[in-house]
Amino acid sequence: MGVPFFFILRLSLSDGLEHYRDVLASPVLGRVVENTLVISAATTLVTLVLAYIYAAALWRAGPLLRSLLFGLVLLPFWTGVLVKNFAWAALLQDNGAVNDLLRGLGLVEGRLSLLHNRLAVIIGMVHYVLPYAVFPIYAAMIAIDRQLERAARSLGAPIRKVIWHVTIPLSLPGVYAAALLVFIISTGFFITPIILGSPGDMMMANMVDFYAHQIVDFDGAAALSVLVILVVSVLVFVYQRLPKEGQYGSV
Amino acid sequence: MAASEPSILVQGAPLPHVGRRERAGRLLLLVAALPIAIYLLLPTLVVVPMALTKGQMIQFPPEWISIHAFTDYFSDPQWIDSTITSFKVAVLATTIACIVGLLAAIGLHGKAFPGRSAVVGVILAPIVVPLVVLALADYLFFAKLQLAGDWVAIGFAHSLLVTPYVFITVQSSLVGLNPSLILAARSLGARPLSVLRHVYWPVTKPGILAGAIFAFAVSFDEVVIALFLQGPDATTLPVRMFTSIQYDLTPKIAAIASLLLGLAAIALAAQGALAFRGYARRRLSAT
Amino acid sequence: MDSVTTAADPNQVPRVTAISADRPAGRRVEVSGVWKAYDNGPYVLEDVSFTLEPGEFLTLLGPSGSGKTTTLMMVAGFEQPTRGEIRVGGRNVARLPAEQRNFGIVFQGYALFPHMTVLENVEFPLRMRGLARREGRRRSMDMLEKVGLEQFFKRRPRELSGGQQQRVALARALVFEPDALLLDEPLGSLDKRLRETLQLEIKAIQRRVGISILFVTHDQDEAMMMSDNIAVMWNGRIVQLGSPIEIYQHPRTPFVASFLGETNLLAATECGTDGKVTQVRFADGSLGLVREPNRGGRVRTAEGDVVLSLRPERIRLLGPCDSADGVISGILVERTFLGRQTRYVVEALGQKLIVSTSEPPLPNELSLGKPVRLGWARGDAQLLAMIHD
Repeated sequence: MGVPFFFILRLSLSDGLEHYRDVLASPVLGRVVENTLVISAATTLVTLVLAYIYAAALWRAGPLLRSLLFGLVLLPFWTGVLVKNFAWAALLQDNGAVNDLLRGLGLVEGRLSLLHNRLAVIIGMVHYVLPYAVFPIYAAMIAIDRQLERAARSLGAPIRKVIWHVTIPLSLPGVYAAALLVFIISTGFFITPIILGSPGDMMMANMVDFYAHQIVDFDGAAALSVLVILVVSVLVFVYQRLPKEGQYGSV
Repeated sequence: MAASEPSILVQGAPLPHVGRRERAGRLLLLVAALPIAIYLLLPTLVVVPMALTKGQMIQFPPEWISIHAFTDYFSDPQWIDSTITSFKVAVLATTIACIVGLLAAIGLHGKAFPGRSAVVGVILAPIVVPLVVLALADYLFFAKLQLAGDWVAIGFAHSLLVTPYVFITVQSSLVGLNPSLILAARSLGARPLSVLRHVYWPVTKPGILAGAIFAFAVSFDEVVIALFLQGPDATTLPVRMFTSIQYDLTPKIAAIASLLLGLAAIALAAQGALAFRGYARRRLSAT
Repeated sequence: MDSVTTAADPNQVPRVTAISADRPAGRRVEVSGVWKAYDNGPYVLEDVSFTLEPGEFLTLLGPSGSGKTTTLMMVAGFEQPTRGEIRVGGRNVARLPAEQRNFGIVFQGYALFPHMTVLENVEFPLRMRGLARREGRRRSMDMLEKVGLEQFFKRRPRELSGGQQQRVALARALVFEPDALLLDEPLGSLDKRLRETLQLEIKAIQRRVGISILFVTHDQDEAMMMSDNIAVMWNGRIVQLGSPIEIYQHPRTPFVASFLGETNLLAATECGTDGKVTQVRFADGSLGLVREPNRGGRVRTAEGDVVLSLRPERIRLLGPCDSADGVISGILVERTFLGRQTRYVVEALGQKLIVSTSEPPLPNELSLGKPVRLGWARGDAQLLAMIHD
């Protein structure tokens, strides 16, 4: 399994570090890195908010509703990224459903350009990663001892203070894990920026493809890949060190 | 014993005070989660109707109703070819993944040694590495072997990608297996193959099945690796769709997307049935 | 089903409320006629009534499912009675949510906030009440000192032992001077020695602070050791309420008799009484005298059936010339020496009766299989108020 990686490494190091310098000197790189970071960060933020709400609803729901909500979040999990992107493209296009809806509701006059821009990319990406975020947050929530809520109330805390002082702090480990996971996944996106974004929304993965197929500079592509792997590895390492649910230990 | 008359403040219905507040909170959460659920569901909901449009263009809501998009797809030899290719690739990938994943999970089962987490890390690595990096590496590798552009290459590359999933599911099905059972079997004279057949196989069957379903689905839908390794005879369905989408959104693509959705739904249902059966069986054996 | 003539409500009986607290604090808690059913299901509590006086240690004792924890939760405000009232200091608290009832609760498992330090845990109720930070800190440290944990104030709950966590839970529940302390089987998960130590500690704290305690447990030794009064619960009802001595020596029902300590239950028929002492006849024809319970009416059936409760330690093995108020003949089937007691199992009246004595068995003791005579004094046998629960 390590063989293909070896190949990349070897190829990237042929002719020494020159390829790395070339890649790093590329004017496009700065822009692409910025895109990747901004889009991934935005995706992560939006996803966390939505995922927290959904996980909380999942947590508090009765058994029937919980199964339903679970199913709803699992189905997108199983559909391929292509189907999802296609659907979003169809929905967000100028004569697509979303535009029609907005016009029908009287919220906009003309046609909003919702496709082939950063907004569309983020919409598509959040949709993809949302299930990945819901699960760790949900896991952290159900690990919270239910007696704690009663204890807090018995000590005089009204519901909103119980949420602030008990529920949220104890669910944070799940949030951190979800955030990192989503961020890691976001940085690797390939299909979504192409279908839903503009050329100016190019992300890291697209750049590797660019080097490989457009410029046909495989060495450079290899060098870039190695850099990407390095960054991702660091992130994964941090993720492994994160305490997840049950961090505080049960008492 | 005659019951004393209760001093009645509230008769019958329970006092609603606390219950009402908690229920209100729950309702609020549900209301907030509803749009999110719709957001999650939206693409799924619109794909099928879009495929059933009479027109030649994608629109939602569509002009009902015709299955011309589906017939267009089935009568197009190129698309059918791609479908078959995807199928061949997925079967190959799943088969390899099941074997390797099973052996890896069994091999690591119950054994603790320094560096174990490193080994597990390597096995699980393909999940976290950005697909494009994997794709590039695979391309370079198979190009060297003169196999780039052959569907077999894609199959092998996919197996690399999906083996971790089988590993995970098999591993979790092995959790309940006491390692000393293996030792017991061996002390009774069972050779490795018999141990495999009589001890491991019954326990891991559901795990393998679950992993296989997921592996198949992932491989069938996969785009990036297939893109890098594509050849004139080895264009998978998703790759063809991808190229097509970049140019034009046609109902035919919606039709294919609907079919893929159906595949996903079946896979999800199969997983659910597996999980349910496992749950039911465990409850039975616990009584 | 027996025809029943009189009913004795345990709560109409004047109770000797022995309160061990020096200076009683807190407010009186009255539970009156409380019934509870979940969602049109069967009643899990039926007509539960009792009073917790300031400074009193009252235990709800019963097996699992008897409704004792549900009752506690209703006093606490986490459950609502379907019927009936709960009053604190004369005020009806039905509409009051749990966070506004001023009770300190120690839950099973303690429910200490794992993400806060010991000090922050204890401070929490004071913060919720809007107390200034510094004052809250001072009072919390005082409280921690009282329970002997002041040097652990910076630790997290998971770093403490079970006994220490228990004390933090107590400190947290006491720091805001609640109207009463509610404890839900707090010692269940601890080992025997630790449990006994903590029982004494809780009792000592209660005496010192003077607070009323409502204690829930299924362990009758614990209940007898700690309580001023015990309410024995079964199937959602309070079957008897009284001091430990009273309940032990004068159980009203077979359930109470066998739940607290051991007892032998014997069926017999009344055959004469002078109001103070009754003569009963057993199935094999032997007769015995029993003192009538001096409190509350006893259920009298038309046929005159009664149930006697005889504690093992109150029965003697009679010598050939001994006599007693009541004598039963049987066969000795088992003898066990347990160090602090010797137990004999005697088959008589179709049952296995247990006799225990603190005397070691004599060398020329009766051998197994030989007939023996058992005797008791009229004041040592109990006529149970009810023959069925």
